[in-house]
Amino acid sequence: MGFSTDAIHAGQKPDPVTGAVITPIYQTSTYAQEELGKHKGYEYGRTHNLTRQSLEANIAALEKGKYGIAFSSGLAATHALMGLVKAGDHIIASNNVYGGTYRLFELIMKDYGLEFSWVDTSELKNIENAIRKNTKLVYLETPTNPMLNLTDLKGASEICRKNNLVSIVDNTFMSPYLQNPLTLGCDIVLHSSTKYLNGHSDVIGGIIITNDDSIHQRIRYIQNAVGAVPSPFDCWLILRSTKTLAVRMERHNKNAIELANFLAESKLAKKIYYPGLANHPQHELAKKQMKGFGGMISADFGEVETAKSLLKNVKIFTLGESLGGVESLISHPASMTHASVPKEEREKMGLTDSLVRFSVGIEDIEDLIADIKNALNSYY
Amino acid sequence: MNTQNKNNNTVDDTKYSMETHLIYGKNVTKKWDYSHHVLPPISSSIIYRLDSVERGAEGFIEFANSPITGEDPMPIYIYDRLGEPNKDILEENLAYTERGEMAVTFATGMGAISALMGILTKSGDEIIAHHTLYGCTYSLFTSWYPRYNIKVNLVDLTDSKNILTVLSEKTKVVYFETPSNPNLDIIDIVSLREIVDKINEQRPEADKIKIVVDNTFATPFCQRPIELGANFSIDSLTKGLGGFGTDMGGVVIGKMKYRDMLLLFRKDFGAVLNNKSAWNVITYGLPTLSIRIQKQIQSAQKIAEYLNNQNKVEFVNYPGLSNYKYYETAKKQMIDFNGNFSPGSLIYFVLKGKNAIESKENAKKFMNYAAKNAYTMTLAVSLGHTRTLIEHPASMTHSMVPIDKLSEYKIDPGGIRLAAGLENVDDIISDLDKCLNIV
Repeated sequence: MGFSTDAIHAGQKPDPVTGAVITPIYQTSTYAQEELGKHKGYEYGRTHNLTRQSLEANIAALEKGKYGIAFSSGLAATHALMGLVKAGDHIIASNNVYGGTYRLFELIMKDYGLEFSWVDTSELKNIENAIRKNTKLVYLETPTNPMLNLTDLKGASEICRKNNLVSIVDNTFMSPYLQNPLTLGCDIVLHSSTKYLNGHSDVIGGIIITNDDSIHQRIRYIQNAVGAVPSPFDCWLILRSTKTLAVRMERHNKNAIELANFLAESKLAKKIYYPGLANHPQHELAKKQMKGFGGMISADFGEVETAKSLLKNVKIFTLGESLGGVESLISHPASMTHASVPKEEREKMGLTDSLVRFSVGIEDIEDLIADIKNALNSYY
Repeated sequence: MNTQNKNNNTVDDTKYSMETHLIYGKNVTKKWDYSHHVLPPISSSIIYRLDSVERGAEGFIEFANSPITGEDPMPIYIYDRLGEPNKDILEENLAYTERGEMAVTFATGMGAISALMGILTKSGDEIIAHHTLYGCTYSLFTSWYPRYNIKVNLVDLTDSKNILTVLSEKTKVVYFETPSNPNLDIIDIVSLREIVDKINEQRPEADKIKIVVDNTFATPFCQRPIELGANFSIDSLTKGLGGFGTDMGGVVIGKMKYRDMLLLFRKDFGAVLNNKSAWNVITYGLPTLSIRIQKQIQSAQKIAEYLNNQNKVEFVNYPGLSNYKYYETAKKQMIDFNGNFSPGSLIYFVLKGKNAIESKENAKKFMNYAAKNAYTMTLAVSLGHTRTLIEHPASMTHSMVPIDKLSEYKIDPGGIRLAAGLENVDDIISDLDKCLNIV
């Protein structure tokens, strides 16, 4: 089935009892059992929930995977993946992943005896060089947040297979509509479903997708045993959202390309990071492994004051964390999403204090461009 | 109700109290087999897949056609406006709670009132109603019904015999609230039933006068009008039955033979209850009804007694005060499921003043001060909420009543309506004390 068809139908057969076309919200914590040991496969809300199962089947299909395992946040999903390793194991991770992932790994998981190497995975040889005897996982984010560096997923997954490592890709920035890491040979895909998957800025959620039976078994076990499960209502809201994912992503993509071109042509920004621009160092790779370039743009305005003024004076863009909503958001990674990364680390990757990140929404692009023009004019 | 075992879809209602029934409802229902989910799922689809054109046709034939299908079939769902599992489950439970044969829900209390009056009257008919009514019911009766040539006679029904003064051959409905909104008049349902029965003796079946009671102020916890002789009971689910102030809704309860007409009216006029709102009443509203209303009654009684002793207060209307004009009638008909006197959660009181104008000014001062300074009282319309609500009927809920009619309908220009919430009652009284001090 095509993507848009799966988005609307996968995991969402009409309710067998009533024929309800839209999946009901199974808002119950427990299930009545007929007698000891006899039930319909549903025992307790943390373990089983029909609305959640619909969501998991739906997103698994969109990511071309067999299994989906949903969580109450993207970070809860990332944390669940740490259940694939144990003390003494080593993990290689992209050096500019989402700040919350960095914080989880460095400030929490390290204390449990896990070792991390932060490498620039846009160069595949850096992954190979970082492999140790005890390396188990390679954790990738492409494009990265907020620098929009790409990692060659086919190449990276080949290295992982050769070295018996499990490859994980945080695909939040692209959404399954624009990139499917499983089809490029990766083992696990992770999403913060809060972002493009849900798209309406009204749910926090996360999900893991895989084709591997044993990984699925382990993560499913953790989902129940650790318990960071999403509520049935949140699952239902995300199911509402995936139906429009294709049309939303088309528009995010189109708007972002136009905005990036405007920023480039107007020379308002000192440097623009967007894989859709021909001068992005990995533009060719982007064209190869992605079906579009996404809705995220970062731009360095050179001066902290310029960035501050832009953030303060925009009227349509909302200053806020998160991304992937229908409404355009603007943020300051250095003090917001990536504040937990030390300044020297930030500067090394180009994440300066004058860098601004745009999550381009689906408003009329003329209004978005005018908003940025006006906001910068009020500074100059 | 049938008496069958739990697995077989009904419960023995002689063995259990209503408090328990409010939690379980019918427990297992044919309307939607969710029997392994302890709570019903929230239905969230506007349409239902049909297996075949024939099944679709069958569904349309079954809809609002009880004589063919008999009672309580497993419905063929088609489209939310016609029917949907959450509303059906709620309706079964509400009918049970109000001691009627059936219930049909609507988008709001006004949706329920206009639907019931819509099926009971037609052009040329007359309605007799108590002269003190909720403002929007008054507005429905006096602004809209004249356009349809339906005449509404407003009289004082606290004396049942008064219906005889406006009775005509065209009279089809006697309509009232008890306690009435906002001033808590109590109308004797049993006595009205006797009079109406005598009139009905002379009439053919189709022309028999129906008694309709808006039971919103009492809720079925305090009063079941159908048990007392009313033909229909109406509730705004927005109030005590919903209980949390999150959702609008209304319901008509009565005999099974009216269900089809009400469903057809709802289908064609479209005031359909939202399924998520229905789910809230099933899940939160009904199961907590008895503990909420019990607590509100306890608080209202104390508040009424407190107000009754304040020299700045002219008078207090509360059915639980032994010096209240209608105390004896209230004691007779406002009783909970276990037979205890349950005078409700609403209080109406008037502040003193040299004249009506000064009394109104004092009331405004009191309420404006409360709006700004009282932690436990919120100036807002509605009632039956978790929060104690106060309001000024003359300028808010009853602003549709013309000024020159206010005194005729016993709505004082300075009257204050208080709906007790679930706060600690001492806190409410201490806030009231502060507010009275500045008057």
